Amino acid sequence: MRTSVHRGAQALLVLALAVFGLTSSASAATVAIELCAVPGTAPLPGGGLVPIWGFGTPTTPGDCSTASAGLPGPQLTATAGDVVTITVRNALPAGHTVSFEIPGVAFNPGPTDAASGAAVSRTFTAQPGTYLYQSGGDAGRQEAMGLSGALLVRTTTPNQAYASATTAYDVESVLVLTAIDPAFNAAPETYDLHNYRATYWLINGRSYPDVPAITAATGQRVLLRYLNAGYDNTSMTLLGAHEQVVARDAGVLTNQISASTETIPAGATEDAIVVVPTGTPPSTHGFALFNRQLHVTSGPQTGTSPIGNGMLVFIHS
Amino acid sequence: MSTSQRIRRSLAGLALAAGALVPLASLDASAQSEAVPPTGMICSTGTVSGTTRTFDLVASAGTIDTPDGNSVFMWSYSPAGGHFQSPGPVLCATQGQTVVVTLHNNLPEATSILFPGQDATVAASGGSPGLLTTEAAPGGDVSYTFTAGQPGTYLYESGSDIAKQVEMGLAGALIVRPALGDDYAYGDASTQFAPAREYLLLLSDIDSDLHHAVEVGATYDVNALRNRYFAINGREFPDTIQDNGSALLPNQPYGALVRLQPNTAADNRPALIRMINVGAVNHPFHPHGNHTKQIAQDGRLVASTEHFGETIGAGQTEDFLLRWDDADNWSPTANPLPVAQPNYRNVFFKDGNTWYSGSPYLGYKGTLPVGTTSQNACGEWYFPLHSHALNEFTNYDQGFGGMGTLLRVDPAGGCFGSPTTSSLLGGTLKSGSVASLGQSDDVYYQINPRTTTRPTATTAGQTSITVASAAGFPTTGSYFVRIDNEVLQVTGGQGTTTWTVARGQLGSSAASHTSGAVVTALATDWYGGFGGVPAGSTNLKVIYEGRNCGVTTGTTCPAITTNLPQQTVKICNWSLGCSTATSPGWTALTGPPTQPQGVGSTDVSSTWTVPGSPSAYIGTGSYAGQIRVLVHTQRYTAPAPATFATWGDLMKIVYDAP
Repeated sequence: MRTSVHRGAQALLVLALAVFGLTSSASAATVAIELCAVPGTAPLPGGGLVPIWGFGTPTTPGDCSTASAGLPGPQLTATAGDVVTITVRNALPAGHTVSFEIPGVAFNPGPTDAASGAAVSRTFTAQPGTYLYQSGGDAGRQEAMGLSGALLVRTTTPNQAYASATTAYDVESVLVLTAIDPAFNAAPETYDLHNYRATYWLINGRSYPDVPAITAATGQRVLLRYLNAGYDNTSMTLLGAHEQVVARDAGVLTNQISASTETIPAGATEDAIVVVPTGTPPSTHGFALFNRQLHVTSGPQTGTSPIGNGMLVFIHS
Repeated sequence: MSTSQRIRRSLAGLALAAGALVPLASLDASAQSEAVPPTGMICSTGTVSGTTRTFDLVASAGTIDTPDGNSVFMWSYSPAGGHFQSPGPVLCATQGQTVVVTLHNNLPEATSILFPGQDATVAASGGSPGLLTTEAAPGGDVSYTFTAGQPGTYLYESGSDIAKQVEMGLAGALIVRPALGDDYAYGDASTQFAPAREYLLLLSDIDSDLHHAVEVGATYDVNALRNRYFAINGREFPDTIQDNGSALLPNQPYGALVRLQPNTAADNRPALIRMINVGAVNHPFHPHGNHTKQIAQDGRLVASTEHFGETIGAGQTEDFLLRWDDADNWSPTANPLPVAQPNYRNVFFKDGNTWYSGSPYLGYKGTLPVGTTSQNACGEWYFPLHSHALNEFTNYDQGFGGMGTLLRVDPAGGCFGSPTTSSLLGGTLKSGSVASLGQSDDVYYQINPRTTTRPTATTAGQTSITVASAAGFPTTGSYFVRIDNEVLQVTGGQGTTTWTVARGQLGSSAASHTSGAVVTALATDWYGGFGGVPAGSTNLKVIYEGRNCGVTTGTTCPAITTNLPQQTVKICNWSLGCSTATSPGWTALTGPPTQPQGVGSTDVSSTWTVPGSPSAYIGTGSYAGQIRVLVHTQRYTAPAPATFATWGDLMKIVYDAP
């Protein structure tokens, strides 16, 4: 195909605008993020450690021996319009390919997987929202082992989750919901997933009372960024207030809903805003936000009453 | 299964098979303190003082019955001083009222109540602080006070050891009605509904092994939870379609049958279905027959959308409007289906039981295979409403059962029936049959006044006369006959051929008559008999359409413009007896239109609501489900009586089956 000089110049102009971010926000930047997928351990509610595979940030770039696995992985942030490149190095045990994905994000074309010991880089232009990043390798076993985390893309407007003013907030809280079956984690390569049965229910890798309370004053708007990295659709009840569900999967809802119990599908994210009520909460601990599927226990259950508190957090001032 | 359980279950089956839905008043033992309608949401209204509404609850243990004959140990909230019930009572309050809920704890561990969705402060008094709310110790009390917030459907549930206590059944519904009126779901005109069609479907799930462990104080691994029973309003299908307060389910007072009638221009209001999931599993709920329109979640309006399946998350509430618009008006006569109906023998009926009427047309019944038991009352339609997680549409893994109920669509205006028998209490059949009364189609059931002859001459003063035959004349009571232009009243010897008579009646003069004179009854009396009307039916109406013709022979109907025959339609009050035309049980229908009414040679159609309670007119015992409607027509005006024949075109009853 022959290209005229004129058309070539036009293409160059578009390229220049994109490179310098002139088509979007003036503050857009190029962001480079490096992650390692590494084996590690995580503390269990009630004591003990469980083996995990998780994402970690190497303190020495390129050296995954300096990264420790997090449950969840490190919280990544970017600003709308940023051109973000995430490089993921695969330091998992041999034989496991990392397949890096962020549902809702369209990566630039390129390789999708990092073979054992190798790396993959994915580049995209950030759009506002709450995203779950994860490795889809081994047909879900890697996610169940802990290879997921939150990516927050903030707008250029401070304290506003999306372009819509209805998403303004005072306090931000990120809630990564996960579950653990220690028996699976002990043998992730061989465990028969038909027998998978989670016994720990976690918010940001912890269960109550280890999960820190969300601190906000009366009247403040709390943005709850839910990320369901677990395997089942999770219904969370908020006691004493309704939450305004403003976005799902990083898309602002045309018809926002006001819910006291919201179901976050497995793999999905939701953004909801709670205005901290003026009244006194039912509990001395504050306004409870808990797993209404009654996953409010932790670990082996050997008594006549449930043990542990599972997926529960309070909002208080 | 114990013997007593087996007997109880087979009784339940018997009642179902006979379609005999037990009347509440006679059998309801204690689940409700007052009479309740057989279907629809039952509100507990508490006690009201000023703008404060108080509910006194007890948390205690009891058992429920499941359709497979099991008995499951439950914890629940019940009215203080009342009967154990599962789920807890439906607490109804009005927006802005102060609601006080007192809780006495008869459980062996601390318990409490949460009110999810109430955003105002829930102030507790008594008790001691727990993790999620203030708790009552075993044997102790706590009370909660709050201002009923925005209108809507909410739940209440235990806030103590919830993985155990909510699973054990400590949950119920809280309804907040808008100031706009009790027939609005929300403070929005678009949420108006028909108050007689307000339904609650409260979903729950039960792991009977956990319940057993709690009952005997054994340990239980909640990580191994496996739900085996899935309930709506605390019952599993088919118990869900039993009436509210059914004596068969003394601890499970709330039925879940949803009933609709096609909307009409006069009443276009939809049904309201409030759904609550108090279980621990998200339930995908699925109506057949028509979509439901979701209007709210968690007591807040949403942009309404139509659904044929909607997942209700654990702890969520959702409200739906449901309507039935008979868009096509299929009718076997006026608007038949454009395709042939399958031969009934090719239609499969599970276990010889069906809710199918045998006819695809709403309000009609058809042929069913021999041996099939139909639960169908009057050609109504049934559709399932159920969890589409089909493992939940079971009782202990046996389908169908569990989280399912039926949507019942009744014919427009209610059930109707056509006579299946007829009998002449005074008169002679001219032509036609009872089938002629089935439709308004100018095919008539024609009756002439009964006639006989005098074998001998009659003098003007004679008061005892013989007749050739008494057949077709009334056998009791006084009645009129005429010979030539004289009217005589038969006062004795009814049913025999020797009558005692009063002469020169109704303005006529006693006269002598020749041997062989014809004796003609002045009236026709005949009734149509209806069957299959369920006890407890309400809103019973009688429709009759017919004419009177001036001749007793031939197929034409000469005009009658004067001296109109006087028609009185009556219904049988079984307790008083209706064996003859003049029996005291025949109760004249009271107008409008008033009776008797003059009916000439043009069809006159009339509809009456029966006087008093319909139960007097629905037979019992060997007459169970029977209704009889009598048409009495008399023509005489002095001095020249004229002949007539009664032509009935349509006789019909309409009622709301229970």
